[in-house]
Amino acid sequence: MNKPVPPGLLLVGVGTMLTSMVVAGFVLGYFTDVWLDSSPIFMLVFGGLGLVGGILKVYRLLARTAW
Amino acid sequence: MSAEQSSGGGTVEYIQHHLTNLCAGECDPVTHAANGFFAWHLDTIFVSLLLALTIVFVGWRVGRNLNPNTPGRFQNLIEGIVEFVSGQVRDTFPGHNPLIAPLALTIFLWVWLMNFMDMIPVDLLPLIAGWFGIHYFKAVPTTDLNTTLAMSLTVFLLIIFYSIKVKGPVGYLKMFLFHPFGKFLVPVNIVMTLIEELAKPLSLALRLFGNLFAGELVFLLIALIGGTAAIGVAMALMLPLQAVLDLGWLIFHLLVITLQAFIFMVLTIVYLGMAHTDDH
Repeated sequence: MNKPVPPGLLLVGVGTMLTSMVVAGFVLGYFTDVWLDSSPIFMLVFGGLGLVGGILKVYRLLARTAW
Repeated sequence: MSAEQSSGGGTVEYIQHHLTNLCAGECDPVTHAANGFFAWHLDTIFVSLLLALTIVFVGWRVGRNLNPNTPGRFQNLIEGIVEFVSGQVRDTFPGHNPLIAPLALTIFLWVWLMNFMDMIPVDLLPLIAGWFGIHYFKAVPTTDLNTTLAMSLTVFLLIIFYSIKVKGPVGYLKMFLFHPFGKFLVPVNIVMTLIEELAKPLSLALRLFGNLFAGELVFLLIALIGGTAAIGVAMALMLPLQAVLDLGWLIFHLLVITLQAFIFMVLTIVYLGMAHTDDH
């Protein structure tokens, strides 16, 4: 099941993955800010967290591929 | 009416008319836009079903007349497409699932054919439909968000189905709970993974819709160049300009529709491939 796949087109999914994670972080932070009235602290924190998470996810995806 | 026309309402009307679907059911009687859940875009349904039947019929004909020794040119073309798609699936898809390659082939052919309706002159099909008393006819099914969303939602359901099937219900839940930050930020993980998953079908549908809708709009604008030129000297300048622009955009758009069909297919394979891996 977990045979290493050639990277090839798997890379197509990377863009969506990274961006959606960053966007998800910002959305989450925005609503936390609205809730706690603390703009813009959480938006920045979760935005950064989203970026880190996105990179982490992409790294894990690519670590599986056979370069 | 007259005020509308004097302020360039004619061109706006022309474009809006071309971008209006033939709606049946709960539709707005003035704008012909869908006005409720049970609104049917008959032209979209008709054209997409017609193209699907075309694929089935051609596939059936070719399959029946297969000639292994001396394949004809058409059989060669079909074999080339099938080989190409199954090659992509082999390269990208981990594990084994006999559903994926036929699914990818269907998506590629169907989306490409639906996109190809864009190549038909923008006024031709509405004109023919007009002879039969149909006043609204939008020929390209992929310029209707309903088509693209329906396809991407089908893919989305397949993603969920195979995720649960391969990872198990617990494994699927774990993906939401413990990704990407481990067990210390569970609420953040849930929201982030949820948005990421929902972004898949949304981006799939909106990418295709946006590209084709914009392409159709450019065709309409090019068609307006000659249509709005005053009769006389202006025509001598405008008509060649329209022809050149139309040809250029047509050739470029041929690339776009192929690319969009290809991307939709590849992303389907990639997303389903992700659903088929254990350690997400």
